[in-house]
Amino acid sequence: MLSVLSYGRIVARAVLGGLSQTDGRDYSLITASCGFGKDFRKGILKKGMCYGDDACFIARHKSVDVLGVADGVGGWRDYGVDPSQFSATLMRTCERLVKEGRFTPSNPVAILTSAYYELLQNKVPLLGSSTACIVVLDRRSHRLHTCNLGDSGFLVVRGGEVVHRSDEQQHYFNTPFQLSIAPPGAEGVVLSDSPDAADSSSFDVQLGDIILTATDGLFDNMPDYMILQELKKLKNTNYDSIQQTARSIAEQAHELAYDPNYMSPFAQFACDNGLNVRGGKPDDITVLLSIVAEYTD
Amino acid sequence: MGILVQRYTYGSACELALCIATPIDPLALCSHNISPNTKALEIAKQVRGGAGRTTEVEKEWVEVGGLAHPLFSACCRSMFPMLTLLSMFYYICLRRRCRSGSRSEALGSRRAVELAQRASGPAGGGSVGGVSSGGELEQYAKEVVDFSSHYGSENSMSYTMWNLAGAPNVYPSSGDFTQTAVFRTYGRWWERCPSAGAPYRRTPRSFHSRDFLELAFEEPVYPTAVEVLETYHPGAVVQILACSLNPFSQNPPTDVRWEVLWSGEPSKALAPQSRQFSPSIRHLSFPTNLLRVEVNSSLLEYYTELDAVILRGVRERPMLALYKIPLIDMNDLSDGEDETAIGIGSQRHPQAGDGKYNNTGNGYFDKLPYELIQLIVSHLTVPDLCRLAQSCKLLQQHCCDPLQYLQLSLQPYWATLTDASLVHLQPRCVLLQRLNMSWTGNRGALTSNGFCSFLKACGQSLVSLELSCCHFLTEASLEVISQTCPGLQELNLASCDRLQPQAFSHVAKLNSLRRLVLYRTKIEQTALLSILTFCTELQHLNLGSCVRIQDYDVVASMLSVRCRRLRSLDLWRCGSLTERGLAELAAGCPLLEELDLGWCSTLQSSSGCFQRLARRLPRLRKLFLTANRTVCDADVEEMAACCPALHYVDILGTRMVSPASLRKLLQSCPNLKLVDVSFCSQIDTRAVQELSALFPNVAIKKSFTQ
Repeated sequence: MLSVLSYGRIVARAVLGGLSQTDGRDYSLITASCGFGKDFRKGILKKGMCYGDDACFIARHKSVDVLGVADGVGGWRDYGVDPSQFSATLMRTCERLVKEGRFTPSNPVAILTSAYYELLQNKVPLLGSSTACIVVLDRRSHRLHTCNLGDSGFLVVRGGEVVHRSDEQQHYFNTPFQLSIAPPGAEGVVLSDSPDAADSSSFDVQLGDIILTATDGLFDNMPDYMILQELKKLKNTNYDSIQQTARSIAEQAHELAYDPNYMSPFAQFACDNGLNVRGGKPDDITVLLSIVAEYTD
Repeated sequence: MGILVQRYTYGSACELALCIATPIDPLALCSHNISPNTKALEIAKQVRGGAGRTTEVEKEWVEVGGLAHPLFSACCRSMFPMLTLLSMFYYICLRRRCRSGSRSEALGSRRAVELAQRASGPAGGGSVGGVSSGGELEQYAKEVVDFSSHYGSENSMSYTMWNLAGAPNVYPSSGDFTQTAVFRTYGRWWERCPSAGAPYRRTPRSFHSRDFLELAFEEPVYPTAVEVLETYHPGAVVQILACSLNPFSQNPPTDVRWEVLWSGEPSKALAPQSRQFSPSIRHLSFPTNLLRVEVNSSLLEYYTELDAVILRGVRERPMLALYKIPLIDMNDLSDGEDETAIGIGSQRHPQAGDGKYNNTGNGYFDKLPYELIQLIVSHLTVPDLCRLAQSCKLLQQHCCDPLQYLQLSLQPYWATLTDASLVHLQPRCVLLQRLNMSWTGNRGALTSNGFCSFLKACGQSLVSLELSCCHFLTEASLEVISQTCPGLQELNLASCDRLQPQAFSHVAKLNSLRRLVLYRTKIEQTALLSILTFCTELQHLNLGSCVRIQDYDVVASMLSVRCRRLRSLDLWRCGSLTERGLAELAAGCPLLEELDLGWCSTLQSSSGCFQRLARRLPRLRKLFLTANRTVCDADVEEMAACCPALHYVDILGTRMVSPASLRKLLQSCPNLKLVDVSFCSQIDTRAVQELSALFPNVAIKKSFTQ
């Protein structure tokens, strides 16, 4: 039994909803994550959002959605340091900063800087290094603010085409820009980039845009056209279908990584630089797939 | 039937139903001159025996009634099952209504209301929790308003007080996590150093607080419970207070009252595991959303860490039945008077209005020497002194004698101290030498003018002045201090973080300063350098967390030139000190006994600065190199070789010190009392246990995160 008042309310809402412009509504990111660590034999049970030496986080604060990925540099293993500790702690710290609101949406580099500073404030003597990529959606202004340090990155896909992508930052071949904390005495030897060296960009997004944030394990094994093919299969904007697509992308990249004859983008790049290699690149793969949708409570 | 119904509570509706099923004819009872109650008791006993014994009861009833009429008994036998059925229906309806709660509220049953409250669990997230059907609100802190100290950096969220706001991050895990709130000090280690001020006499025995924090919640409620989630080394909370002021309201504070919700002794839990501390709090007559928690961690083995504070309360003033009726304790009464004592004393004039008084003498008091009465009175606390002053002329003369007020600690009375109190104390305090007004005067209780006029009247002989966390201070106050107290030797301005930087320029005029504490102030480099230029007698200097100073090397070199009598220096979190500054300091201040270089990340051991330091300062008693990741075996061995007087050492967080060099240190320094090797990767718990067994007089601290 609907009273006259409630009927009137519904009608008014429908009319006003139709008349008002779409810009008034908030957007939001619906995100799913998937990934595979490089080495199954490790068997170390990590908490969620950690795949091998990679780590990621998804967080929100008031009217802002934030995602991040970090790829721990595996070379530390040779010196007795667990590379996953640095990337996981970095991502946990970014998540906490976001949840407590200690950031500005338009400045994702500041999130990295604060998180790096907080790592130094930890009593535990952390060592290691990692790349980082952070994506921030401001729901009201519909702007996406991003920053990227290293060879992880993101793609923005609209209408089946890539409209934005991040640039890889590398010092030498297979040596990306990285945030690091070095053992004392080794500061001159260990590569340590400042968070200010990160690339940042801001642009508008539209409803239905797909944002794919991933570590180099994905981009080095799957060229763009394959990723776009997988994304075409994404029909709905509900969480389950996004999760399914993310999983299929990650699985496909994982398969291709161990294919010795496949000409991966990594192998292509190596050949261009004079190294005669073929096949995929076994690496930790982390995929965060997001769709820009309307904000519903 | 009526008698039996009254004997059963609602908790046992089953018994009620059975009672209804077994009616008793009061007439029948009376006709046999049997007291209804005793008979009812007997029948009740049989009824409780179970439904299977109803036939016996029936027989009993017939015998009691004395009516062996067959028709009547037949009627009973047929009515009885009907009545049973009716009572079962009634029972079912009663239970249904109990569950819905409306009947229980109508009955006002205390147990039912408590059940309703227990049924509502804490809602997650956000600062305001769920509301139960009883109207109880559960809130996490919205904002940390004030605190006396913390371990972390000013802009950080690691080990800082701001972690107390919001939902808990760590609880129920226990360990040394970054997401908790940690105070700057623990135990007694800092009190035993010469850099600590001397304790004040006349401290009331109930005042144990060393640190405090103030939390604001979203909505004012009448509190029913306060829970403090302690995640590491619990036991430090000694007092919880509530304020009548709403910190978020735009109206200026009219009448600010602080009530003690709970107070206790500092304690130590059996294990350093996390716990939820929920003491039974007093009934409050006003709604509050501002709580203050005071702590004392002197019995604890390591830093205490707090994760969150939960305030449970109701919006409307509750019925008294919800609270345990507090036992009226003589101590409680005197505490209540304590709080208002200074207030009382300031309003009532001690002089009797009428001019005539009988000069009958003071009895035996006249036989006692003046000094003896002074000695007796010198053991009273300040409120007692004020009360005693109102008793008679002779005692008023004794209690208002300025010699009783050479030392005055008003810190325990921070909640009630006002400008009027200072005016009242003024005539007695003209010989004041040591004054402790830490924590007083916040939220408008004291004004800078009131303080300045008090100081102008009483401060000429001041030697020591403690003004920690005094937010009423302004530049004018410091100017008055510098003008009125030229002989001041000790000044404590710790955590006066609202004091503007230009105020500190006046401190340079106090040329006799021996002890200066500027922990967590906004002092800037020029003011500090001018202080160091003119205050050449400085022996104890605390510059911890002074973040506005850009170059500590310059400060160190100024110290080495001007303050050669320096005995203790606290440079906690001084980010720009390098080995140059440290070398100059070691060269210029040979009397240094205490040096706290915790979290000074710019010092590199590879430059040899720590070894040079150890060689230059053989008198070192305290050396803290907390979280300096470069401290290595060579440094520790040099300390062992050159500094035999070491008492307190902290090398937290370095990967480069091995158990062997630690053992050398323990062997060479017989006076060692504290060694903190937390998070030193090479020194594991087994090594710590071995060394503790070999050196039982040394407290070797090893913290953990899991």
